Amino acid sequence: MLTIEKLTAGYGASAVLHGIDLSVADGQVVAVIGPNGAGKTTLMRTISGLLSARSGHIRLDGQEIGQIPANRLARLSLAHVPEGRRVFAPLSVEDNLLLGGYSRLPKLFGFASKARPDLDRVYDLFPKLRERRRQSAGTLSGGEQQMLAIGRALMIKPRLLLLDEPSMGLAPVMVQEVFATIKRLRSEGTTMLLVEQFAESALALADYAYVMEGGRIAFSGRASDLAVDPRVIEIYLNGGDQGNAP
Amino acid sequence: MITKRQATEATALLLMAVVPLVFGGNAYIMGLITLVVIYAITLIGLDVTVGYLGQVNLGHAAFMALGAYAAGLATTKLGWSMAPSLLAAMLVGLVTGALLALPALRLEGPQFALATLSFASLVVILLNELEGLTNGAQGLSLVRPALFGIKLSPAGFYWMCLALLSLIWMGMRNLLSSHWGRSFEALRDSPIATDAVGVSVYGRKVTAFALGSSLGGLAGGLYGFDFQYLQPDSFRYDLMVILLLGVVLGGRKSLWGALLGAVLIVMLPNLLSARPVFATIAILGFVASLLAAWHRRRISSTISFQAAAPIAATGLMVLGGLFAQSLEDWRKAVFALILFAVVVGLPEGVMGCVERALAGLFRVGRRPLPLPCSLDEVLPAQEPDQEPGLENNGAVRLEVVGLSCRFGGLVALDRFNMKVRAGEVHGLIGPNGSGKSTAINVISGLYPPATGYVRLDGRLLPSGNLVRAARAGIGRTFQNLQLFFGLSALENVMVALRHVYCLPLPLIMLGFGVREEETARSEALSLLNLVGLGDHAEIKAQDLPYGAQRFLEIARALACRPRLLILDEPAAGLSLPDIKTLLGIMDRIRERRIPVILIEHHMDVVAQLCDRVTVLDGGKVIATGTPGEIQTDPEVIRAYLGSIACTGGACTGVANNKTSSAAC
Repeated sequence: MLTIEKLTAGYGASAVLHGIDLSVADGQVVAVIGPNGAGKTTLMRTISGLLSARSGHIRLDGQEIGQIPANRLARLSLAHVPEGRRVFAPLSVEDNLLLGGYSRLPKLFGFASKARPDLDRVYDLFPKLRERRRQSAGTLSGGEQQMLAIGRALMIKPRLLLLDEPSMGLAPVMVQEVFATIKRLRSEGTTMLLVEQFAESALALADYAYVMEGGRIAFSGRASDLAVDPRVIEIYLNGGDQGNAP
Repeated sequence: MITKRQATEATALLLMAVVPLVFGGNAYIMGLITLVVIYAITLIGLDVTVGYLGQVNLGHAAFMALGAYAAGLATTKLGWSMAPSLLAAMLVGLVTGALLALPALRLEGPQFALATLSFASLVVILLNELEGLTNGAQGLSLVRPALFGIKLSPAGFYWMCLALLSLIWMGMRNLLSSHWGRSFEALRDSPIATDAVGVSVYGRKVTAFALGSSLGGLAGGLYGFDFQYLQPDSFRYDLMVILLLGVVLGGRKSLWGALLGAVLIVMLPNLLSARPVFATIAILGFVASLLAAWHRRRISSTISFQAAAPIAATGLMVLGGLFAQSLEDWRKAVFALILFAVVVGLPEGVMGCVERALAGLFRVGRRPLPLPCSLDEVLPAQEPDQEPGLENNGAVRLEVVGLSCRFGGLVALDRFNMKVRAGEVHGLIGPNGSGKSTAINVISGLYPPATGYVRLDGRLLPSGNLVRAARAGIGRTFQNLQLFFGLSALENVMVALRHVYCLPLPLIMLGFGVREEETARSEALSLLNLVGLGDHAEIKAQDLPYGAQRFLEIARALACRPRLLILDEPAAGLSLPDIKTLLGIMDRIRERRIPVILIEHHMDVVAQLCDRVTVLDGGKVIATGTPGEIQTDPEVIRAYLGSIACTGGACTGVANNKTSSAAC
C-alpha cells in the first residue's frame, strides 16, 4: 500500500531524513521505533504531506504523493493522528469528528444523513465520545482527546492511518486503553503505521517494525523477531539494566 | 583587542565623519546626511519595541513630536542652551514612554498597537490645540542654541549628532549583549518561561519601551534644531509609516539595520525624482528577486508565494517606470510596492541578508567557553535537616494547605493538601485531568487559588504571580516545552541566572557588565554539565534533540537556585536511553538536597525516584505513601494504574515496579 524509497526531508537548511526505505502492505500494522530525535515524527509529517519531500519517492497504492500537500492527501484517504493530539479545542466533540470527515462528505445536501453512519461507527468504537459529543474538545481529559484524535482520523475512512505517539503523556490506565483500541482497529483490518515510545507494546501489536536512528533505518524485521532481538532489547526494551539509578 | 565588528563600526563612523570635509559647502548634502543620522537615532529607538520586543508600536512619531517641542520650548521660552534642551527632550520621551507603557503593555498585540495609535493622534491634537504654548498649526520657529557656548555650523551640528549616534550605538550594543538583550529574545520565544525564571516580562517591556521612546524624544529634539521650525502636522501618521518602513526595510533587531533604514528613507524620495535612477533600482530589484526565486528553486521545486510576490511587485515598478508621467505623483504607491516586496521577500530586511552574507564583519565572534565553575558555587547545598537521622522526617520545606481552584463550573482542585520535606522527591500522579497540572500551576503562581495557601520554608508564597513565586524560590519546567528556542543552550540557562546579575541598567549600557557576563557563562556551563549538555552549550535550543531539550529545561530551572523544583512530566516522550540519563540527572539533584515535586506517568520512573507519592483523582487526593504502598492501593489501581493483567506491553511500568521499588 505504502512504499517509500530513498526519502530525504528536513526543515530549512538542515536535513533530518537521510534516505528512508520503508513499506507497509495492505492490512498490515507497521511500527517505527527509535530514540528521540531519530526523525520518526518528521517521517510521519513527510508522509502525510505536512512537510514536502526533498528527494526520493513516497507512493500510496502506486501513486506518487511526495509533493502533494496535506489537505489534498486527506482526500486520498490518508489520515494522520499527530503527536500531541491537536484536537480543535473550542469545537464540540461531534464537530471535531465531522471536520475529520469533511473532505469526503457532501458539502451542501445530505451532509447529516451521510455523516451519521460514520459518526455511529466512531461512537461505537469510543462510547465515551458519544456521551460527550456536545462538550467542547478542550474540556476532555488527555486520554479522551487521544480517542477523539483517532476518531477524527477514522472519519476519513482511511486506507492508511498514521499514528504518532498515541500514548504520549497519558496515564497508564489510558495507555492501556489506547493500545486496546489500536488492537481493535487492527482486527478490523485497518492498515496502520505506528510511531511509539513504548517499544514493547508497539512490537506486540505490529506485524513488522523498523528501528530508526539518526534519520536512517538502522534495521528492520518481523515485529515478533525484533521483540527478541538483543539489539532492540538492550536499548529499547527494559531488558537492559534498569539502573544507574539507586 | 579590536574585533572585526569593532573595526567595521569604526570605519563606518570615520567615513561618516569625513563627509562634511568633502561636501561641507553643499548645503543639500549636509541636510541629507544630518537627517540620516537623526533618523538613525529614532529608528534605533523604534527598533527596541518593533524588533526586540516584537510589539507593533505606532506611537513613535508622537515621542519625536514631544521631544521636539520639549527642546524647542526649552530654548524659545526658557532660553536653555543645546545640551540641557536635548536632555529635556530625552527625559520627556522617557517619562511619557513609561507612562504610556505602564497601562498599554498590559494589552496584547493589536490592542497595544491601537493604544499607541490613539496616543499618537492625541499628542498631535494636543500640540495643535495648546496654541498659547506651541503656537498651534502656525508652527514654532526657533533658533538653534549654542552648545556649551559654541555656535554650531551645519557641519558642527552634524558632528554633534554623529557623536550622539555613536554613544547611543555603543550603549545599545552593550545593552543588547548583556542579559537584557538576551531576555528580549527570551520573552519573545516564551513569555511564560521568562516569568517563570523570575525575569519579569512586563518590567522588561516597560523599561525597554521607555528607553526606545527616550531615543525618539532625543531624535525629535535634534530634528527641531535641524529644521529650526516645528509644526505638529509633521509628526502625523505619514512620519510613522516612514519610520516603520525604515525599520522593516533596513532590518529589524539590528543597529546596522536602523542606520541602513535611515539612509533608505532619506534617500528614497530623492531617488524617485530622477527617472533613470528609479528605473535602475526597479530593474535591479526585479533581477534580484528573480535570482532569489531561482536560487530557492533548488531547495523546493514548487514556486512559493515568498518568491513570486517580490517578482510581481518589482515587475510592476519596472512597468510603472516606463509608463508613468510623473514619478512624484506615484510616490506613495512606489513606497507601498517596495514595502510589500521587502516584507515578503526579505522578512529580515536588507541588513538581515547582508549580515548573513558577511557574517564575519557584523556578528559577534564566538567567545571561547570559560571553564565551568564548581557546582557548589552555582547551587549552594541547601540548609541541612533540622533533625538529621530521622528518615523521611526531615524539615517540611513546602506546605500546601486547602488549595482549591475552579474554572467556571469545573472544580479542578478541591482542598488539596501536600507536604514536601527537605531532600525529598515527591511524586504527584493521577489520571489525565485529575488536577496535577492545576496543582503545580497554582503553586508556581500561574493561577491564583480560590482558597488555601502555600508556604515555602515557613513563608507564605505570593499567589497568582509567576515572577514573584519564582523569586521566592520556585523553579519549574513545563509539560509542553517552553524553551527559548532561538537562544543557545548556554544562553537559555544564563537568562535564569538572576543571582549573578546585579548591575543597574545605566552601568550596563556604559559597558560594565562584562565581568557579570563571564561569571554567568561559567556558572551556566557548570549547570549544563550537570544535565550532560556541556558539549552542546553553543547549539541553539531548537536544534537540540527532544530529550536534550527536556534536560535543558531542568538546567534552566536549576539556574534560579530553586528552593523547590517542580518537574512536569520530564520523561514524557523520552525513549529508554534518555530516561536513563534523566535518572542520572535526578540523582545529582537529590545530592544537592533540593526538594522536588515530580509529575510523571512512567510508573517505573516514579517508583525509582520518588520517596513519597501523592495520587490525585478528580481534584482530590486519593492516596499518599511510598511508591510501594501506592502501587498496591486498590483505589489507585482502579483510577490510575489499570489492570495489571492487560495485554501488550503497556503495563511494563507496573510489572517492572515490583523490582525497582524494592531498590528504592
